[in-house]
Amino acid sequence: MNILLASTWIWEFLGRLHPMIVHFPIGILVVAFLLELSTFWRKPQAPFSRKHNQIWVTIGAISALFSALFGTLLYQFGSYQGTTIQLHLIGGWITALLATFAAFSYTAKPPNSHTVSMTTLGLAVLSLVVTGHWGASITHGANYLTEVLPSNEGPTDHERSEKLALFTSFSQQDSFPPDQLDQLNLEVRAIFAHNCYQCHSTEKQKGGLVLDSKEGVFKGGDSGPILLPGNSEKSEIIRRLELPRSHEESMPPKGKVLASSEISLVHLWIDQGAHWADASLSIFPEASMALSKPVVPPASPQFSHPVDRFVNQYFQEKGRAWPKFIDDRTFIRRVYLDVWGLLPEPDYVQAFIEDPNPKKRGNLIDKLLEEEHNYTQHALSFWNDLLRNDYSGTGFITGGRKQISSWLYQSLASNKSYDQMLRELVNPIPESEGFIKGIRWRGGVNSSQRPEMQAAQNISQSLLGVNMKCASCHNSFVNNLTLDQSYAFANVFTDTTLEIFRCDKPTGRMASRAFIYPELGEIAGADLATRLEELAGLMSKPENGRVYRTLVNRYWDRLFGRGIIAPVDNMDKKAWDQDLLDWLSADFIANGYDIKHLLRTLLSSQTYSLESFAYPSSAYLRSESFEFSGPTHRRLSAEQFVDVVSQIISPVYHSVAYDPSGYASSAEWIWHPEIEVDRHVLPKPGMRYFRKTFTIPDVEKLTDAHLLLSVDHRFTLYLNGKFVGSGSDWREVFSRNVKEFLQQGENLIAIEGQNEGSISNPAGILLSLALTDSGGETAYVVSDRTWQSTQISPPKNWFRIGFEATGWEKVRRFGSFQRSHWGKPLAFRHALSDTTTLSFARASLVQLDPFLKVLGRPVRENVTTKRPTEATLLQTLTLSNDAALHEVLSKGAQHWKNAYPNTPDRLVEDLYLYALGRKPNKQEKGTLYTQIKNRYTEQDIADIFWAVILLPEFQLIP
Amino acid sequence: MNRRAFLDKMQQASLAAMASSIGSASFLSSCKGAMEHTRSADSVILLWMAGGMCHTETFDPKAYTPFEKGMESKSVVSTFPKVPTALDGIYFSEGLEEIGSVLDRGTLIRSYRAADLGHILHTRHQYHWHTCYEPPQSVQVPHIGSWIARELGPVNPVIPPFIDIGQRFSVGEGEELKAFHSAGFLGTEFGPFFIPDPTKGLESVRPPAGMSLQRFESRNKLYRELIKQGPLGEKSSNYQQESLIRSMERAYQLLKSPEVEAFALENEAEDVYEAYNTGRFGLGCLLAKRLVERGARFISVTTEYEPFLGWDTHENGHTRLKAMKAYIDRPVAQLIKDLDESGHLDRTLVILASEFSRDMLLEGRPGAKIKDQVPVPDEVNDLRNYGMHRHFTDGCSILMWGGGVKRGCVLGETAEERPFRAITEPVYIENIHQSMYHCLGIPPETHYEIEGRPFYTTPEGTGKYLPDILV
Repeated sequence: MNILLASTWIWEFLGRLHPMIVHFPIGILVVAFLLELSTFWRKPQAPFSRKHNQIWVTIGAISALFSALFGTLLYQFGSYQGTTIQLHLIGGWITALLATFAAFSYTAKPPNSHTVSMTTLGLAVLSLVVTGHWGASITHGANYLTEVLPSNEGPTDHERSEKLALFTSFSQQDSFPPDQLDQLNLEVRAIFAHNCYQCHSTEKQKGGLVLDSKEGVFKGGDSGPILLPGNSEKSEIIRRLELPRSHEESMPPKGKVLASSEISLVHLWIDQGAHWADASLSIFPEASMALSKPVVPPASPQFSHPVDRFVNQYFQEKGRAWPKFIDDRTFIRRVYLDVWGLLPEPDYVQAFIEDPNPKKRGNLIDKLLEEEHNYTQHALSFWNDLLRNDYSGTGFITGGRKQISSWLYQSLASNKSYDQMLRELVNPIPESEGFIKGIRWRGGVNSSQRPEMQAAQNISQSLLGVNMKCASCHNSFVNNLTLDQSYAFANVFTDTTLEIFRCDKPTGRMASRAFIYPELGEIAGADLATRLEELAGLMSKPENGRVYRTLVNRYWDRLFGRGIIAPVDNMDKKAWDQDLLDWLSADFIANGYDIKHLLRTLLSSQTYSLESFAYPSSAYLRSESFEFSGPTHRRLSAEQFVDVVSQIISPVYHSVAYDPSGYASSAEWIWHPEIEVDRHVLPKPGMRYFRKTFTIPDVEKLTDAHLLLSVDHRFTLYLNGKFVGSGSDWREVFSRNVKEFLQQGENLIAIEGQNEGSISNPAGILLSLALTDSGGETAYVVSDRTWQSTQISPPKNWFRIGFEATGWEKVRRFGSFQRSHWGKPLAFRHALSDTTTLSFARASLVQLDPFLKVLGRPVRENVTTKRPTEATLLQTLTLSNDAALHEVLSKGAQHWKNAYPNTPDRLVEDLYLYALGRKPNKQEKGTLYTQIKNRYTEQDIADIFWAVILLPEFQLIP
Repeated sequence: MNRRAFLDKMQQASLAAMASSIGSASFLSSCKGAMEHTRSADSVILLWMAGGMCHTETFDPKAYTPFEKGMESKSVVSTFPKVPTALDGIYFSEGLEEIGSVLDRGTLIRSYRAADLGHILHTRHQYHWHTCYEPPQSVQVPHIGSWIARELGPVNPVIPPFIDIGQRFSVGEGEELKAFHSAGFLGTEFGPFFIPDPTKGLESVRPPAGMSLQRFESRNKLYRELIKQGPLGEKSSNYQQESLIRSMERAYQLLKSPEVEAFALENEAEDVYEAYNTGRFGLGCLLAKRLVERGARFISVTTEYEPFLGWDTHENGHTRLKAMKAYIDRPVAQLIKDLDESGHLDRTLVILASEFSRDMLLEGRPGAKIKDQVPVPDEVNDLRNYGMHRHFTDGCSILMWGGGVKRGCVLGETAEERPFRAITEPVYIENIHQSMYHCLGIPPETHYEIEGRPFYTTPEGTGKYLPDILV
């Protein structure tokens, strides 16, 4: 006994060997059993392998005994509790005993009957499997295996498991609360809806089984009842659900697999008597339409802002203290990025910090919100994602899609009230009709993707925060919407009447017309125009709490990285503070649906100034178990990143797809036409020659002749036989006064252009010459189809007047200034009065390219309301080796070197101040100086830029 | 890590996984992991004949009707004579002798039926072929290469799991092409790695031009030090920060790896280079061979879609097909031979296909009249009108080799008389996709829940593989 006590560590040590040693019986007994099976089928029996098996079974039994023994020791010394461990313990000993019997049975003399031996061994293996599973559940968690299955990703399974745990705890008490029995039943019905309705519903009754009604469930199918209330083990449905996938009678038969938590819920429900909840209850929880009118919690000296008063109450209820707040330096960086998507200038930051005015934060917020363009150019990306508006994409080629860019830009810049925006989106003016027109591809499309259905789907998702996509094919498995409701909504957008298609097959039924939330009112208009007007009314009226709650929640999500409800497209989920959300929404309505008012309310709260919080994962953020502790660490969006690099280092983009200034030019992109197999092809690499003659009637009257030229890739420009200039980058628009080269009468522009690259690729010339006379009249000579070109190297005098361009061809047009592969170059402007409001091409205004796409700007073929924020390999790879970014950094290095010719220390300090909002610390200074102390080269500066913009500190909003 | 070492590691890992999960009931009853037992291929090469390759002019020739001035359009059947292949009784159209000579190493499907999507738009059919879903869809649908990349990851970590060779997006219908050259909801991580010009492949996996390895290293060292010294370095980290630092480290490892030499065609022996060099497609095949030998997962090599070019013959069909056949015949056959001889064909599934076929007269499919896009005169007086200029969807040929596909097998047939539609063993896109997934060991129930909708590799997870063509 003394020895025992003195050296408990030995027992504990042996106990810890259990997890290792258990694999012996597992492996050996299973192999022995398999060998046995193989002999069983091979008749006559091979005595050889039986003999062989004696050894295996014996070793297996001995190792099983040891495993059980060590496991018991582990149980004694380890901190294990719960039913699973007890089951595992008992199971372990049963296995060991069965294995021992089997071993005796195999080695017995005279030999036992084969069947007896084998049955014992079989039972041992069976017991082993069950016990092993319990063991694995203890070690790795009950859903160790199932959690990696794709269907179980995301919060749903997690939530289900939580509910399962809750229900299980009720079942272990004496009485199961009746309302919880209702809930349990609803969970089970949701499982049926998701997994079984496709084949077993009123609409489709495979095997005579209907699972979407109480009668159907209790009646069962053709082969009898499916459940025995109170006894899940004897219920056919459980048997079917738990059969191996390969079994013929396994359910569901194809594709789907129920998660173990789902099966457990069904088990529990039957064992609890298969209670059926009141039929009037919806299967899925649904948010109420009206806003609750919450009372703002009382103010305290510390918290007077309504948002803070709600949050204060929230923290109090959670028994938590307020987390820390950010300082001025962090605040100004955060609020700039959130409102303008840009960084504050270092001098401005310093002045802000030193400003003693207690209202300075509020003043800063007002200043940022009042400036219309920077505000709009940042907000635009969010709205483009939400309304799937883009400058390029499918459908445009055949006119099957229309942009709403100018409507959207102007609405945001003028801070149009949101109810007005809603009305113009659903009952559109020509500039906003692209939203409900949707995307049309040539040819036939699936009935669930007809334009009317797209309109209904997008309004539901983007504006109402409800998923109608499922219900546009069949009754939804994720909410209460039905196929008929979806069609009734889609039917609002057409002059004809839609036939209802179920899973792309006609049902013969015609759709009615109704809004998906009929409690808000009817749509009864006789014609399309009236109906859209009615819809606009229903969508925007203040009783529609849902539509405003959805927007408020999206803005909260943008500023805090997680909505008051998540996911933001499912407004029927539970809010972490419904009162806060409803108060904000009501306040938004009460203040004229003013988006800037909403932003001001959120930004001026102390809650917004909380330090960002390190939440464990993005899955946690999406889950209903989320608890608010401050904003998340948000990553710069593609646009924010690109704009900030443009701002600090050097412009990344030089042309835009949408120019808010509306500047236009009649110049066209032209190049030499190239033909292969009778068809136009992309320009091949090589030199091409271009000519254009024009007449100046009175050169004396000419006061100004301004020429703009952009060539992809290289050019040499001649006017009347004289060299004027050359260039090698289309983005650097060549711009100069060329009056001195012009003459009375005939004039000639000649351009030698070169397309670079190894294979054919876009090439083009864009030219505009503005000829202004003393009367103030301006005439333009532009690149267009009146130009001539050749690819054959011409005689020496080709660029002089008088050369006969015989055999030259008419050029081919590759787009206009307004619309082309290159976008509108910002520098392609004749006079300052044409200048746009942009200092560089903001990323929200440029056409999607691979770089922005990799950084996370979505392809706007579908609505996007949340972008992924985690870095990917493709992103870092692109940021590490993209040639264009490399060029931007090199150019920026040139500028910075010129600005700080001999003061590397100041360069580093100012870079840090601008990029990170702080000075480098001592260590960082040391590292950075080592980089540039001896060789203060542009290369080294570019490398510093690269390192800084890839720092998490730069990429994450503080 | 070379391929072998990688495979070894994978094997160890899966053995370990098995050891720890045997005896687990839930494992046995709901096994959804990779279907190791059906796995016969590690890699896929898709040879994409963009623009609609006519089956009766390539791998399923019918009666030869030579050009004669004034012949009736409806009398034109095949514009080339037949030539024998390595399989008895199986003929190809003239100009495909080389591919014919390796037919005994693979399977010919003659009964593929493309979907009926109404008024023809090439890119919509291409979308359907590559994603298994008819466009448009209410969610962003992944390309099959992205599914495979997502489910299996790279073979060699240095070689991106989904590489797309030869397609440019500055051509007509570029936006429509982009719509399916995408990982969709799976995320850009699994999207295609584009190499439009196979001779420039290396550039995409190397530090930017002008940056020496030394500079690359010192830049990276600077980055690491600044992370350590900055204020965030000490603070409790968050998952965004971790994902960024982790991805940076992986990008660094990849860019400096000597193994990316696989992308450099200039390192190939001259005779091998020339054996493939019929242009960008041929060199794309060579690059695919090099990458598969060093551990690529999914590679698409395309003849490139550019409206009215390549296989998209709206005129001059006969003349242009001569050139197209010369463009693909030698490199495709060479690819099969080389992979076979190096032993890689056993684990590499090569598939040659097109979005649909063509016919002289029929647009779409018989019995479902859709808008003609090419006027065809009743009489052929000009060689320009001699060829298959309309889009035909009801019978197409697909070739497959390796990776578990039978050698010397022919599946299905088309009618000998117009319409040349598939008359036996009809094969649909979900069969093709599921056969590929089957060979790769990706279970048919693979799906993700996206906006509440379970989205499967094939619609509803119901695609059936083609047992008759698999070993």
